[in-house]
Amino acid sequence: MLFNNLKIAWRTLVKNKFFSVLNILGLAIGMACFLLIALYVTDELSYDRFHKKADRIYRINSDILFGGNSMSLAVTSDMMGSTIKKDYPEVEEFTRVYNSNGSRLVKKGNDFLQELGVAYADSTFFDIFSYEPVAGDLHTALNEPNTVVISESAAMKYFSSLDVVGKNLETDDNNGTIYKVTAVIRDMPKRSHFRFDFIFSMDNLNYGFGDFLSHNFATFLLLKPGSSAASLEKKFPEYVNRYIFPMLQQTMQVKTIADLEKSGSKLEYSLMPLTDIHLHSARVAELGINSDIRYVYIFLAVAVFILLIACINFMNLSTARSANRAREVGIRKVLGTTYHTLIRQFLTESTLISFLSLLIAIVIAALVLPLFNDIAGKEISLANFFQPLFLVSMLALPFVIGLLAGTYPAFFLSSFKPITVLKGKLSGGAKKSNLRSTLVVLQFSMAIILIVGTIVVYRQLAYIQQKKLGFSKEQVMVINNTQVMGDGTRAFKNELLRLPGVKAVSSGGYLPVAGSSRNDNTFSKEAVMDMKNGFNMQVWGVDENYIPLLGMEIKQGRNFSKEFVSDSMAIIINETTADMLGYDDPVGKKIYKSQSNSQAEMLAYTIIGVVKNFHFESLKQKIGPLCMRLRNADWSIAVKMDATNVQNLVKQVEQKYAAHAAGFPFGYSFLDASFNNMYKAESKAGKLAFSFAVLAILIACLGLFGLAAYMAEQRNKEIGVRKVLGASVNQIMVLLSMDFLKLVAISACLAFPLSWIVMNKWLEDFAFRINIGWWVFLVAGLLAALIALVTVGFQALKAALNNPVKSIRTE
Amino acid sequence: MIKLKNITKWVNNGNNRVFLLKDINLQFNEGEFISIMGPSGSGKSTLLNVIGMIDDADEGEYHFLDQAVHEMKEKQRALLYKQHIGFVFQAYHLIDELTVYENIETPLLYQNIKSSDRKAMVADMLDRFNIVGKKDLFPNQLSGGQQQLVGIARALIGAPTVILADEPTGNLNSKQGEEIMELFRELNEKDGVTIIQVTHSEKNAAYGNRIIHLLDGRVDHHAMEQYTKTV
Repeated sequence: MLFNNLKIAWRTLVKNKFFSVLNILGLAIGMACFLLIALYVTDELSYDRFHKKADRIYRINSDILFGGNSMSLAVTSDMMGSTIKKDYPEVEEFTRVYNSNGSRLVKKGNDFLQELGVAYADSTFFDIFSYEPVAGDLHTALNEPNTVVISESAAMKYFSSLDVVGKNLETDDNNGTIYKVTAVIRDMPKRSHFRFDFIFSMDNLNYGFGDFLSHNFATFLLLKPGSSAASLEKKFPEYVNRYIFPMLQQTMQVKTIADLEKSGSKLEYSLMPLTDIHLHSARVAELGINSDIRYVYIFLAVAVFILLIACINFMNLSTARSANRAREVGIRKVLGTTYHTLIRQFLTESTLISFLSLLIAIVIAALVLPLFNDIAGKEISLANFFQPLFLVSMLALPFVIGLLAGTYPAFFLSSFKPITVLKGKLSGGAKKSNLRSTLVVLQFSMAIILIVGTIVVYRQLAYIQQKKLGFSKEQVMVINNTQVMGDGTRAFKNELLRLPGVKAVSSGGYLPVAGSSRNDNTFSKEAVMDMKNGFNMQVWGVDENYIPLLGMEIKQGRNFSKEFVSDSMAIIINETTADMLGYDDPVGKKIYKSQSNSQAEMLAYTIIGVVKNFHFESLKQKIGPLCMRLRNADWSIAVKMDATNVQNLVKQVEQKYAAHAAGFPFGYSFLDASFNNMYKAESKAGKLAFSFAVLAILIACLGLFGLAAYMAEQRNKEIGVRKVLGASVNQIMVLLSMDFLKLVAISACLAFPLSWIVMNKWLEDFAFRINIGWWVFLVAGLLAALIALVTVGFQALKAALNNPVKSIRTE
Repeated sequence: MIKLKNITKWVNNGNNRVFLLKDINLQFNEGEFISIMGPSGSGKSTLLNVIGMIDDADEGEYHFLDQAVHEMKEKQRALLYKQHIGFVFQAYHLIDELTVYENIETPLLYQNIKSSDRKAMVADMLDRFNIVGKKDLFPNQLSGGQQQLVGIARALIGAPTVILADEPTGNLNSKQGEEIMELFRELNEKDGVTIIQVTHSEKNAAYGNRIIHLLDGRVDHHAMEQYTKTV
């Protein structure tokens, strides 16, 4: 019976080539999308799961609200791990990871190379996290100072061998510490929220250990089997009272956590499961760039959307063509076939179509995988298709789709009454069907939502590009690793100034783009620090050329100057800080900061100017309080260029660099490129929304095309009659297209409010954002209408040009 | 008013050329009631379609009201037949989705007639055929005879000079058929409408004042002589 069903299904497919191709192609594109997204989602969800103890590993997060300034950190104090392990028996082990400046110079031969994947970690690091050793004993690898564990690729890079345990590596820290390689691990898997090639012993970190208030270490806890993270979390306030308040009392003059909360401040610790970090954590001082669970949801929704659109095509085409199958159904029923047998036959057919589609979908997915990887920023390989679980789900897909898309048509077709059918009086399929119209409306609503989404994302990106930032990002080159020159930086800066094409040079340690240094400090409005007067702000070290070079504007007062000796204690604040302080004229007023060595004595800084607000973080954030001081920040140097031949200038700068820093790698970037980097996720989202909108429309149009073809075929007689009655080709085309345009109009009415809500939600992420103008909807609606019109128009034209004699022949 | 000269139409079937019409020479005058007869496949409907300008001949000349139809462009031809020709079909060919009223109104829509005028004209026609009560019904709610009545009303609404009817009673019972034929006679005699009908039935053919016999695409003069003799 099954064979018989398959045979009939195959013959039906071959007989109706046009509709079969439409059906299969639509489903295949939908499935290809679905497959790619499924790969993406499984990839995203599998982060950090390779650690054998992953379900017991938690990271401590810190949430600090102080002086109206809130901070969510992925790091804690250096003391937290050890004290928690000591006091709470449910904690089996802890490890700290420190990678504050992220990069180190490592010597190879005579030259230093810049390494980005470096961290300091406790010796327990490898007891908590599972990495595959290639050589050496990971358990004891970091027990001693001056030890380092390196990755396979680092070993190959520096020694061209994996057998390197016991060999030495020289770095630039603490004046050239020599580290002994104690173990080599396989490269950390890509699906890990942090990836390092060098893990140095924590003992070598130059840090003021024992400080409960400075938060600089990612702290991971390994809980004992069976113990609950939630109940441990409940003990954290008690922990804060025991260890942190004694410290806070000295500096801030608060006694209990209640005092702190009364003043509107907050200090909270919480636990985050290791496996949640990649998708749920977007805190300050993450160990790597994390993703966002919302994108996973959006992707999943889109995958379901597109698959639904494809299924709807199938349903529409199958029921629309029901009249053609009706005779077959009638005859079969007269011959004694039961309702159920018929349903099975039609379901076999839809499953067969799904299977053929899946085959094509796999080919399509394999072909566009590189493109998809590029857009989604992934490195998914074809091999992922063949993971056992994925393979099984993939093979289940045609059955699900076959059922989903085939059930309604199967019931619809099988329920024909043989008498009516055999009398040849059934044109029901062609008549307007509410269900079919609803489905088309659904398809086009989804397509319109995607179009609106695409337009809004791209407009927001364009807005970011054109927004007045308060500084000029064009033609600014940033030279990194200039700290290695020591005192030579001054001479280097002077030499740069003499190069043709260089307009200005300044220190560039703190720059208003992501990835540049940040320095957050507590200040006080009065000479006495208490909860009322204290506030946090960014303190940036700059030189007197910095503000003019970046095109920032002094609103009140003056810039730093070499002529004023007193400028070492001078400070320039931004407008936000000025507003916060509340002085009519802040210039000349003083603000205070406690000294690091003696908590009681306060240093006084004189405000000499107010700089107009500039965006120093992403446009997602409001502009916070910031001040600048005249301090050396020459680990990077900013160069304002006026060059047409940028490449040539870079080459000249490189030569100057080499003269001052022989053996060190020359690294540079352009400010506008770094700025654009901050919005990578958004531009990725834009590209994806665009691709999916195109696909959704393509599939919806395939369906519409088939439907229009069928409608035209069914209304052949009517069209013939109308032509005989004198209708022109144009009139017939309008007649046929109007029906579909009405559906698109209804879809637009549905899609507009929905997409407005969704896109406003997305825009809420940005402190600075566009308004979604009405024209966005107009454009999206017109676009959808135009596409529908073109699709239907072709069929309408074909029908309208038909010779009526053929269609109205009675014999 | 209608002159056909050497009208020939064929289809190519492999290497063979099959003639649907061959050297048709006919002339119809205004006010005539013509019946075209002949066995199935003799070319009756094809001839009617050529006369109705909805089909082309491959050779020959066709003059309608002294205008050379065979030299006209599609658009001119459409303009001409919109004004002068009304069609009545065996299967009525009413539009299923439209009511009686709307079906009758349709040709006027394609002649750019004002809405108020259309209303008046359709009302007149409904009145004339006594189907005012049925104006809001759909075709499938009517009997065959009533449907054909609507078909004729639709053909007449544009006040054509010629009505072309392709077996107008073919799907009707004899009583309904007779009523339709009576209606044609009345239209022809009272209103002076030229009628050309294709029919199988000798009885219906007799309503006409001239009968053309076709056989294998040619005018069958022999049969016509025979017929005249028997009459």
